[in-house]
Amino acid sequence: MEGNPLLTALNIQPSDRIISVHENGLSDTNFIITNLMKKIFSDNGKICLVIVHHTLGHYHNVLKRLGQDFMEKFRNGFATTIEPLKDIATNTNSNFLSSDKEWIVKSLFLAISDKINKLLDGYDDGQVYLIIDDLSHLTDLGVDIKFISAFINYCINLAQNERISLVINCHIADSNDNIISNCLRYVSNLVIDVSPLKTGISHEVTGVIAITRPHSTELLLRNSTLHYKAYDREIKTFAPGESIYHLYK
Amino acid sequence: MEDNVKLSKTVLNIPGTKPNIQNGQLLLSSGIPSLDELTGGGFPVGSVVFIEEDEQCTYAKILLKYFLAEGVVSGHSTFIASQDTSTNSIMQELPDVMSFDPEPDLDKIGNDMEMKIAFRYRNLSTSEKPKELQIGHFYDLTRFMPRNTIESSDVTYWSKRNDTYGPDTFSNSDYHCLLEDIKNKIQSGHFSVTDKVQQRSILRVGLHALGSPMWFDESFTELTINQHRDLNMFMFCLRALMRSAFAVAVVTVPSHLIRKNVIDRCIYSSDLAIKLQSFTGTELENNSVLADYHGYFQLTKLAAINSFISKHPGSVEYVYKLRRKKFCIEKLHLPPGFDESANKSLPSAGCGSNTKHLLEF
Repeated sequence: MEGNPLLTALNIQPSDRIISVHENGLSDTNFIITNLMKKIFSDNGKICLVIVHHTLGHYHNVLKRLGQDFMEKFRNGFATTIEPLKDIATNTNSNFLSSDKEWIVKSLFLAISDKINKLLDGYDDGQVYLIIDDLSHLTDLGVDIKFISAFINYCINLAQNERISLVINCHIADSNDNIISNCLRYVSNLVIDVSPLKTGISHEVTGVIAITRPHSTELLLRNSTLHYKAYDREIKTFAPGESIYHLYK
Repeated sequence: MEDNVKLSKTVLNIPGTKPNIQNGQLLLSSGIPSLDELTGGGFPVGSVVFIEEDEQCTYAKILLKYFLAEGVVSGHSTFIASQDTSTNSIMQELPDVMSFDPEPDLDKIGNDMEMKIAFRYRNLSTSEKPKELQIGHFYDLTRFMPRNTIESSDVTYWSKRNDTYGPDTFSNSDYHCLLEDIKNKIQSGHFSVTDKVQQRSILRVGLHALGSPMWFDESFTELTINQHRDLNMFMFCLRALMRSAFAVAVVTVPSHLIRKNVIDRCIYSSDLAIKLQSFTGTELENNSVLADYHGYFQLTKLAAINSFISKHPGSVEYVYKLRRKKFCIEKLHLPPGFDESANKSLPSAGCGSNTKHLLEF
């Protein structure tokens, strides 16, 4: 973790049980999710990954660049997946295309709780993480906001068990997404906002990461804003204004 | 497609594709060499390309035709759908393939010029040298592809079903039918990543003017929120389908007729987003600086698949022009402000009067 500037900057605390990642505009938060996954695996944690935006192959390829073998973790029982994206394409009677929108979130939650219980079985001293990438696609499937907020509520109730933590990714494009994002912000211990630069596209800076811990009592951990630059194998972070220094280092 | 973590031999031998070893991706040509270069080698297999049409839908249609023509020439299968125009007419007007560039960039004129001031740059070409094509072909827009070539390739023409009765997933059943038909085509043609076949091929899906007023359901007399929701859901389901198959979809959408928040979500569900902004009918039409070009070409999104870094070219502005025989995309270079009329009206520099003295130093 020491060699990873992003994880150093995020400085994940044991108290960060509910983490929400917000993707603004055309930015891409996938690097946050994959870096968090790397940290979880290196801490011997288990992951239940809900894949709605990317594919399993994508996570495997990106994690390989970070030095983790997702498929091996999958085989060893340290990771399990729920793949609505695959289900929509392959299953002719997919639950996710049901006209009963409440049933979509219900069946998803039942699948999640089932998988998490299996991960917890015979695993006495470790953390199990539920990662949802990405929640806002439920609105594309026509699920009403009230059902999505109920779904968030159910997931948070899962975290009542101290051995379960949540990482939820949410893309913000329209007003519905904003409501979901605000709902997530309200319940999260750690809020990570990723945005593109307001001024356009730059060669030195890819975007801005804002880290907020709304419930933290430590002032140092409460707020921080960073710029980041994406490279082929890593993400470099730096304080705003320091980018030129990083170029010539 | 990305479910295949390592690209197997049968995958590497698909005609008309090129593997990108770095990302473990398979790329195919869009039919336009300059667009392939811009998108980092071509369109990744398993992706959805979203094109925001220009208002007259002239140039978006040309992009779609190039994409489909490349598919026919490479021996790929084609699925074409449109409610605005006949799918037959789109296929019949595909440009014909050529073995050489029909209109190469003539940068010799610039090189022959004797440079007096910046003589060091004399040997540099004024425009980028065209690279040799690794995938893709050249096409001539003035000639149509022979009919027998199109007929001998595997083309599926989608047509609206009149007696549709499906589940009410979408408020407009046409979207549901289209999705089901693409799914059936993937299954019948063995394009799915899980299918084991000897010789693999690619399915190219071309959807023209999706979400246009022609896609509105007859039962709706006015625009409702459900129509927009349908488009978002369709794009997300299409993403799911493409990801599970050896297929690429190019969707053109009349974005000026659709709300921006709907377009934003569609862009999020796609992997490549292109916006064509034509100069026709705007004040830019008469701008002498942009006289050589026909519109702005904006690469709104280029997703990072299997990687952290997107191959987005950055803050460079691109323009497109339609020549007689080909469509090309170029970087926008503003010419230096040497204008004869400007020279005449230049005020004299420095202080003093304009009148010439007999004695001048």
